[in-house]
Amino acid sequence: MEKRAVMMAARVAFLAATAFLLSACVTREPFIPANLPPGAQARVELESTPFFPQKKYQCGPAALAAVLGASNVDTTPEALVPIVYLPARHGSLQVEMQAAPRKFGRLSYPLSRNLDTVLAELNAGRPVLVLHNYGLPFWPRWHYAVVIGYDSATDKFILRSGKKRRAEWRARTFMVAWHNGGRGATVVLRPGEIAASANPTLYLEAAADFERGATPAESLLAFDAAVKRWPEEPMAWIGRGNAEYRAGNFANAAHDYAAAVRLDPDNAGAGNNLAQSLLDLGCPGRAREQLAPVNVDALAPALRAAVLDTRRRIEAAGASPVSDPSRCSPQS
Amino acid sequence: MKFVVSIVCVAIINMGMAGAASAAIVDTAVLVTPDRAVDMSVVRTQLDRADVRAKMEEMGIEAADIDRRLASLNDRELHRLAADMQNAPAGGADAVWIVGAVFIVLIILELTGVIDIFKKA
Repeated sequence: MEKRAVMMAARVAFLAATAFLLSACVTREPFIPANLPPGAQARVELESTPFFPQKKYQCGPAALAAVLGASNVDTTPEALVPIVYLPARHGSLQVEMQAAPRKFGRLSYPLSRNLDTVLAELNAGRPVLVLHNYGLPFWPRWHYAVVIGYDSATDKFILRSGKKRRAEWRARTFMVAWHNGGRGATVVLRPGEIAASANPTLYLEAAADFERGATPAESLLAFDAAVKRWPEEPMAWIGRGNAEYRAGNFANAAHDYAAAVRLDPDNAGAGNNLAQSLLDLGCPGRAREQLAPVNVDALAPALRAAVLDTRRRIEAAGASPVSDPSRCSPQS
Repeated sequence: MKFVVSIVCVAIINMGMAGAASAAIVDTAVLVTPDRAVDMSVVRTQLDRADVRAKMEEMGIEAADIDRRLASLNDRELHRLAADMQNAPAGGADAVWIVGAVFIVLIILELTGVIDIFKKA
């Protein structure tokens, strides 16, 4: 008799638990429709994204080869293993995955950690490299995969992942793994291309990192796009000015630095670079004027050293007469 | 001791190079985010480079590839790499692991309250 009561109680508890779980399922909101940016398509699948089945532990090189391939870089996971694979860790680190596209003349743009940015990039035709964690807090299993599409009607993502050319994932499953992986997501950009969801700070940082290994012509493309997209950003003008300067186009460089100084008169970096380009244009008088109000003691050491250096070069050039007054006034 | 001496030598040689490179115009990377640790001493950066190189060799990377890998990293990334090599997420999970792991995770997540994560997302 007592046993039956216990059984009954257990049955009721089980039904209540099941009902609770079911109700939890029913009230769950779909992820993709809730995060679609305005004007986004209901369904996207970037079928032309290449696929490379991963070898043991080498999902990093495989996923990277796919996003690079989608950006017209002809490479293979085998070629990427020596660049991003860490044998002792049986995997690839995010920091190296992030840096790798720059070796192929591409910018690596990290998306802000929201789902809408991923959906925006897919709409713009760019596959997204994501870091997933399929494990548990004390037993993480990290995995790189490439999102190539989504279907808002079924709330599913479409991925190239591991050994699967085409995997459909419930958005919830995707979100769990992505969230636990720290929501890392990256797109690969050609110089001159700007991410659909781009934010000026993140883009300009990505472009500055790209500049390190790029030719001045490539940097020029990257920063020219930034100037056009965010003309109110002094850093965009400085970046384009630096690319022009390195290409030897001092007049164009001076024009861009002057625009940066106009937007941000206290920007000593822009002022220094303007003075240097004026000096290269044969205008030491204007260069000296440019740096006269700068209080070097208030500057960070690297910047202070640069300004003092420029001042020394200006003084060494002496007060040679201005040969062409028009090119000495890039502001006008 | 020999090792320390060689690191210091490399640091001093590179310091000269960095000085030469930073003349004339100021790099975009230096200006783009003023709060990036741009004033970190050059010596420390170079020590890190030597440190990372040694760790990379230890971790099984061919000496010939190490330079190529380090060349594309900025100072900030280099510091991160130095810190990350031991413990940070290294994506590389295998398909077999994944199937098992996904299954366990999903069961646990469905049964516990982890669902709350997404109400904010």
